[in-house]
Amino acid sequence: MKCLKDRLISGLLLLLSLALCFFSTQKFREQHKKETLFPSEGLASREMLSSYFPGLIDTPGDTEVYIYGGQNPGGNILILGGAHPNEPAGYVTAVILIENIQVSQGKIIVIPRANNSGFTHSEPQEGNLRGYSLETPGGKRFFRFGSRLTNPIHQWPDPTLYINPSGQKLSGQESRNLNRCYPGKPKGHLTEKIAFAIMEIIKKEKIDLAIDLHEAAPEYPVVNAIVFHENSAELASYSLMELQQIGFEFRLELSPNNLRGLSHREWGDHAQVMAILLETANPSQGRLKGKSSLSLIIEGKDRNYSKAAKFGLLFVPFDSEGIPVKLRVARHLAAIKILLSSFNELNPEKRIEVNHMPSSSQVKLKGIGQFLCPPYRK
Amino acid sequence: MSEAAIFLFMIATFALLAMVLKLPIGVSLVFSALAGSLLGGEGAALHHLVEGSFGYFDTILIIVTAMIFMKVLQESGILDTVTALLLKSFYRRKVALLLTVMALVMFPGMITGSSTTAVLSTGALVAPVLMKMGLSRVKTGALIAMGAILGMIAPPVNILVMIMGGGVDMPYVGFTFPLLIIVIPLAVSTSLWLGYKNIKIIEYNQMKEVLPESFFKNYGFRLYLPLIIVIGLLLGQSLMPGIIPDIGIPAIFLLGSFLGIFCGKPLNILKTTQKAIEESMPILCILVGVGMFIQIMTLTGARGWIVTSFLSFPPLLLYLGIATSMPLFGAVSAFGSASILGVPFILAMIDKNAILTSSALSAVAGLGDLMPPTALAGIFAAQVVGEANYFRVLRFCLMPALFELVIGMAVLLFAPLLDKLI
Repeated sequence: MKCLKDRLISGLLLLLSLALCFFSTQKFREQHKKETLFPSEGLASREMLSSYFPGLIDTPGDTEVYIYGGQNPGGNILILGGAHPNEPAGYVTAVILIENIQVSQGKIIVIPRANNSGFTHSEPQEGNLRGYSLETPGGKRFFRFGSRLTNPIHQWPDPTLYINPSGQKLSGQESRNLNRCYPGKPKGHLTEKIAFAIMEIIKKEKIDLAIDLHEAAPEYPVVNAIVFHENSAELASYSLMELQQIGFEFRLELSPNNLRGLSHREWGDHAQVMAILLETANPSQGRLKGKSSLSLIIEGKDRNYSKAAKFGLLFVPFDSEGIPVKLRVARHLAAIKILLSSFNELNPEKRIEVNHMPSSSQVKLKGIGQFLCPPYRK
Repeated sequence: MSEAAIFLFMIATFALLAMVLKLPIGVSLVFSALAGSLLGGEGAALHHLVEGSFGYFDTILIIVTAMIFMKVLQESGILDTVTALLLKSFYRRKVALLLTVMALVMFPGMITGSSTTAVLSTGALVAPVLMKMGLSRVKTGALIAMGAILGMIAPPVNILVMIMGGGVDMPYVGFTFPLLIIVIPLAVSTSLWLGYKNIKIIEYNQMKEVLPESFFKNYGFRLYLPLIIVIGLLLGQSLMPGIIPDIGIPAIFLLGSFLGIFCGKPLNILKTTQKAIEESMPILCILVGVGMFIQIMTLTGARGWIVTSFLSFPPLLLYLGIATSMPLFGAVSAFGSASILGVPFILAMIDKNAILTSSALSAVAGLGDLMPPTALAGIFAAQVVGEANYFRVLRFCLMPALFELVIGMAVLLFAPLLDKLI
């Protein structure tokens, strides 16, 4: 009798588990749908990352590459967003560039979803929302909030110990972190192939300056920072002064020589490009974050971080006003604009001219949505 | 509803279900996570429950396959043969036996960073030897559990440090010496503390009486093949990456189990596997439940509230916070403790040598593998020695664990001084 009862309970729990998986499937499948982006009229061509490295064809790592300008020779710039899909300001800044800019001299290449696979899932135990909507003049646009790492459905299992292509020993899950896999491997695992393909773009397109857009938790020391390779020391310090003049405080951080596999180190070492990584403060990715909510992602408000700031635990000022995503995007845009103008001054023979790039002050004043296309545009 | 209230409600629901209604721990965790989600205004949050349950998917695979491997070793006679070999070698040498056993238990942990792997591989090999030499079942379990945790902290592979290093962009370089400073005194003292009084030096005839049957004469050297392959692959993937393929710990254990079918006494692999799954099911269920519990804690802000509260302690209390919160959070997972609490604690002590700080924190976080309800090291050590109540094993872990805590905290407190010495 007891045996029958146990079996009944086990069967019931099994049925409950199956029902749980069945009813939540839809939510997980939705994460694999890409939101549509609406490039500006300045778009010269749209390629796939696999056109630079065929090893990515038909893989979840393949992603769109948007190319602007190129008609008149000048400097070549690469801007990467979405290397970590849980850092919204990096992704949204790249989208704003795609949907607004026109390049009359030189070339700008934007990859908004650098780790495309990372956008298709969210990390267990991080309790993140699936995405967030931004209000545009023509309605709401949805953007996905993904994971820092490649989806384990696409790359699994993690090794016990990951030794990246530059020989750095890391914990196994870092093998799915794009910004630890440079310079990549053509025959490596998926994330290493993505890193390799990005290196191929840098080399084949003869990139002069490459900018990687990121965010960091407010308790992390390298935040509101410009991390630079020694190749770009002059550019970074020149830009810092300009940014301070318009009211943006940034830290300057030299890329450490002994921390390998990151964009700001390997892009510079392996392709001799001027490599820059930009960090803003994102409370929705930190370990102190409170309830997962739209307010946390978009307005950047969080009681825990306000409390932590009072105890001096953060590396950025934080109060009840939070750090909204529009301010973080504005910081990225300001830094990009000044990096480009400083690049022009330091390299007059390789000028780059960009038009219709939203200014940081406009974004701060009007919000991000004003510079995004409405969701229904053809 | 405040985050604190949600957290307390979840804990209260868990206590009610597990202790009053006597539901299994794993099931209680699932329903308390659901209750927390409802109270936190998230509805049933089904996809969050499913997502959280995958938090320990890799650990679950390791546990299942390691259990199968252990059962194959038992059923095929390999375990008895190795026990006989070790007994013949050490029956006259008490200290050498204890230190060798400690090194053997630590070894898989040192190369995989996983205490579970250590308990269920070499832990299972040494358990009968210690018991036949006079050490009680529960003390044997305690020695294996502590050895496995020390192996997890010891170099060359300390995943806890790697996780913390990943959070603060610190390369995994220069940790060997600081970790050895912590681990060696602990390994020596723990093995002697637990075993020196009880292990008996016995005569040859007495040894022959307790000697289990060796199957070496029947099957020869191939009897050791599963062990050699498993240890070789575990070692190879960390010492010779790129040369020895990293097929993952679960696949290594499965390969060892498969070889075990052909290398010793005939066994019914279906029944052996069923027995392994049956014995590991309660802990697997707990891990799934814990994953859901943490996911809802994070979703509702309870996790962030806990981390912020500990970090907000005044400087002196911060050390108390570290000494209590990291092992306690280890009840969820030692790796989770390193990631969620270890990283903010390193940043809160950023003026100190981060290598020493993270080494010390890894020793403290490692103790989480003794913390119920998961208590991975304790539960599996109890299973290995055949003890039904794992709390009896944990009781004997208390003193060595406190010593480990003291050493870890001492390294943290005296980090500026040690920094000058090393």
